[in-house]
Amino acid sequence: MLGKLSLRNAKRQAKDYIIYFITITIAVALIFSFNSLAFSEDISELSQSMKYFKTSIMIMSVIIIIVIAWLVNYTMSFILEKRSKEFATYQILGIEKKDISNIFMLENILIGIVALAFGIVIGTILYQILTIIIMNIFAQPYQITIDFNLKAVGLTAAYFMGIFFIALLNNRRKLKKTKINELLYAEKKNENHLLKKSLGNTIIFLISIVLFITALVIIGDTFKDGNSVKGNSTLIAIFLTIVGIYLFYISISSFITKRYLNNKNRKYKKDNMFLFRNLTSKINTMSVTMGTLAMLFTFIIIGCSIAMLMNAMLNNEIEMGYPFEIMISSADGDFSKYKEYIEKNAKVKGMYEYEILKINETGISNGLKGTPFEENKWYDYDEVMKLSDYNYLRKMLGYEESTLQEDEIIVQCLRTIEKDFEKYVKENNTIVIDQQEYKIKEVNGENFAQTISFNGYIYLIIVPDEVANTLTEIDLEGESYNFRYKFVVQTEEKTDERFYDELCQFILKEEIPQTEIIDGEEIEYNLEISLGNVTTKGERLTQVKSFYTIISFLAFYVSLVFAIASATILAIQQLSDSEKYKYRYQLLRKLGVDETRLNKMIFKQLFIYFILPVFIPVLISIPAVFLVGRIFLVAVTLGDIALNIGIILGLLFLVYGVYFIATYVQFERNIKEGTR
Amino acid sequence: MEILRVENLKKIYGKGENEVKAVDNVSFSIEKGEFVAIVGASGSGKSTLLHLIGGVDRPTSGKVYIDGKDIYSLDDENLAIFRRRQVGLIYQFYNLIPILNVEENITLPCDLDGKKVDQDRLEELLKTLKLENRRKHLPNELSGGQQQRVSIGRAIINSPAIMLADEPTGNLDSKASEEIISLLRLSNKKYNQTVIVITHDEKIALEADRVITIDDGKIMKDERN
Amino acid sequence: MSEMLKVEHIEKYYGNKDNITKAIDDISFVVQNGEFIGIMGASGSGKTTLLNCISTIDNVSAGHIFLENQDITEIKEENIAKFRRENLGFIFQDFNLLDTLKIEENIALSLTINKKDAKEIDQKVKEISKKLGIDAILDKFPYQVSGGQKQRCACARAIVNKPKIILADEPTGALDSKSANDLLSLMEEMNQKMQATILMVTHDPFSASYCNRILFLKDGKIFNEIIKGEKTRKEFYNEILDVLALLGGDTRDVR
Repeated sequence: MLGKLSLRNAKRQAKDYIIYFITITIAVALIFSFNSLAFSEDISELSQSMKYFKTSIMIMSVIIIIVIAWLVNYTMSFILEKRSKEFATYQILGIEKKDISNIFMLENILIGIVALAFGIVIGTILYQILTIIIMNIFAQPYQITIDFNLKAVGLTAAYFMGIFFIALLNNRRKLKKTKINELLYAEKKNENHLLKKSLGNTIIFLISIVLFITALVIIGDTFKDGNSVKGNSTLIAIFLTIVGIYLFYISISSFITKRYLNNKNRKYKKDNMFLFRNLTSKINTMSVTMGTLAMLFTFIIIGCSIAMLMNAMLNNEIEMGYPFEIMISSADGDFSKYKEYIEKNAKVKGMYEYEILKINETGISNGLKGTPFEENKWYDYDEVMKLSDYNYLRKMLGYEESTLQEDEIIVQCLRTIEKDFEKYVKENNTIVIDQQEYKIKEVNGENFAQTISFNGYIYLIIVPDEVANTLTEIDLEGESYNFRYKFVVQTEEKTDERFYDELCQFILKEEIPQTEIIDGEEIEYNLEISLGNVTTKGERLTQVKSFYTIISFLAFYVSLVFAIASATILAIQQLSDSEKYKYRYQLLRKLGVDETRLNKMIFKQLFIYFILPVFIPVLISIPAVFLVGRIFLVAVTLGDIALNIGIILGLLFLVYGVYFIATYVQFERNIKEGTR
Repeated sequence: MEILRVENLKKIYGKGENEVKAVDNVSFSIEKGEFVAIVGASGSGKSTLLHLIGGVDRPTSGKVYIDGKDIYSLDDENLAIFRRRQVGLIYQFYNLIPILNVEENITLPCDLDGKKVDQDRLEELLKTLKLENRRKHLPNELSGGQQQRVSIGRAIINSPAIMLADEPTGNLDSKASEEIISLLRLSNKKYNQTVIVITHDEKIALEADRVITIDDGKIMKDERN
Repeated sequence: MSEMLKVEHIEKYYGNKDNITKAIDDISFVVQNGEFIGIMGASGSGKTTLLNCISTIDNVSAGHIFLENQDITEIKEENIAKFRRENLGFIFQDFNLLDTLKIEENIALSLTINKKDAKEIDQKVKEISKKLGIDAILDKFPYQVSGGQKQRCACARAIVNKPKIILADEPTGALDSKSANDLLSLMEEMNQKMQATILMVTHDPFSASYCNRILFLKDGKIFNEIIKGEKTRKEFYNEILDVLALLGGDTRDVR
């Protein structure tokens, strides 16, 4: 008997709460696929850093589990309350409380199992897709295999069983405590205003605004540049923001009431009265929930934007730092053996050897004032390159060649400070080298391997060949960093991590004896070091890719789950109140409101309700991301920051939008059900 | 034989100034087989009284004896069992289980006890209730009157000591109301079922053997028809 | 006295050719301006269907209904809602107040639907609430006031729009006798002092006794009509009971 009740209730619940059911299934699919990625050997073998992928996913999964647990618990309590009359009936009929709890538990376990099953199936597909994406990022070939990772299945099942178990225990406790009377009359209860006095509410509202502004100011100060970032002030700002969010949502209902409902002129206009009363009656009980959702959204937007900025920054750094595929510096200038090795092991497109000269400071470093690099120049010389070398390198990189008169020079610098230098040069367009004055003809900012001081650190002075030959150089003979000889290679295809390791091995073998005879014994050195004067773009990119793969995937994983959990809560709330709203909207119909207007009102109501928890997060996050993004300005532009926020907001609204539309369709259907 | 005895029953809500005496020191007794109507204006306390008699709500003080048993000496779980065997409850809003059909709703109290259903009794009931052709229907496929008949069936299938009805015709039109009233009357006469009905409907009061009038939580009148 | 409502040979069918139910089978009658008319009959007699047709919630299958010379049955779908809100007032069985709106807002609802000016709305609400004795509770929510006050609010909402006719659907169905009494007296007042034309559908003879005239429906047709004239309410009540006894002899489930 009880089993029959449970089974049928489960079926009905799945139908009524289908959005919830779908979200849980999606959550299972996500968690399962990500855990499968974590356990996947193919993935962790992609590079050294990818082993951190596994740990990070595990940690993030914990956070996700907490959010999903909250969703499940919330929904279960919610359903319990909605069905309170039904449970009262069971009690009145004389079903014992423990049996009633069991009915409810069994229902939910059934739903959980079905969601788990579907979720794992979908998750397997998702896992394949994600694997392909990652393999693509690392430019590795991949074949689709139906690979069922039992560990991942077990872990996912364990997580969800844990979640359901805890939620069930919690609600079982609630059921036990309720009295029949309460259950019978639960619906008639009217919602309490959290804060009754309107004056109190206005003050709280204002306080929340103040808190937001303060938090932003603190962030603004903390993230001035890479050096001033402090953990403490960031935490304080986060704390203030969270408190501000909750206070805002607690007081918003009275704010709306004051603005739209206490003023008769506004109240009686159009459908304001109906809409806003509907809204405020819910907001009161919803304020804490809305605050939590807003908090989640804020962290999603800020977190993802920053993750993307970090990616952009790292990517740009690689591009700016390593325009050539292979770059080697040496003190003696003998690259013949390397040339041979490289030609044998890579498809070479072009090679070049040249020198960089070091001369006394010319004062051009003053051009760095006002840029993020102002404090960075710690050495007291400037670096110079011959025009012919310069032009050859430019040709290799596909840039236009330059020309110089005998009294002219060019400044080649980082892209991000090109404009600053140009401004400087407008006022100071000459420099003195070896007591000769030269005009600064132009400032070029293309990528030229300057972040790693390969072709000059931050900037490089280009002089005509004749001038170069007569320059007085600083004597750095014997200094270990005097790698004046440079060798660059462009290849047809990108190289990878393995190529780099083997190249280093080769070079080491050439430079350092592999075996040494000590006390008559031959001792073998197994040296596996990477060399500081040898870099390949391929290897650097691999490092970066690992990092940004991890960060992006995690950011999106967490954000997606947060977003769908939040949207589900909102959807369930509105949908389960359909009965109440059906009554209200039918009344309007009877009183004489036409279909079109009714549809508009329904849309407005849902829209406001869905927008409300996103509104503050968007307002706070945009300035926050810009403020924090300043520390990335060494490698990205304001335009990049704006683009990143735009993408994140776009994706968020996409997911949110899908849920909104699904809710609207279902809501409208519920309200119109059974009518002409 | 006395089937119900209520002694100094009190139910007080709230405290101090906000104290509301829903039921104020009520005492009476009912013999087996009586058809009693409890009438009163809304807010007079009659629903609360019904809940106290039915073991649904615990009194602030006082005792309720059903078939000689002091029902409030039982703990919650035993009270639930007692209730499903000895008290049949009918409400204004039918309170049927939405996922069970007519037959299942009616036999629910038996199923809960794990007892086998007496098929003959079930058939007879369905006939009396004029629900034979609807036995497999779900509640949302029935009219108001039909739903209420199902809840009557559920209430008497176990031949409980007392049948309590709270405004059973409140949600029905006159024709359906008449049917329900005659059904209650029928079960009272045919099965010697003790029936206690809370109502503001004078027609029901006219059908009863005895009318108890309540106002402000106290018994005002107790007359035989 | 002019004609407010004219119902002309209306019919209403449900179902298809194999299984037709005639809910209304050729009904015609006239309601004068300022009348308080009652429609009685057993469930299935067609009285609710009749009300739904008059209130434009349902369409007739044949015939015409004129409200102050405007043919309701000819109004286009997109204009029906407008017609309803401008010309009709409703009193339902369970008041149908919105529990999220204050009393004054519930009353104002029909005016805001009609997009009236805020000042006008405010003034009208105050006016009608004073007339019905509920101006003291305008600021409260329905759950905070008594059943009697809720009724008054429902009546105020029905009449504040100065509708051509007020349609009441079993208004005393859910009330105990005292509250029912109060509501009916209120409706009588609205009819006599404010010249409201009221059409009430009811199965309760006591409620019906407040009307000036009663039409009895049976099986979709008008079976009988009685007029109060100079009789007292008690006399009229007994007359109603007699007619009902006649009617009640034949019970049949229509569905």
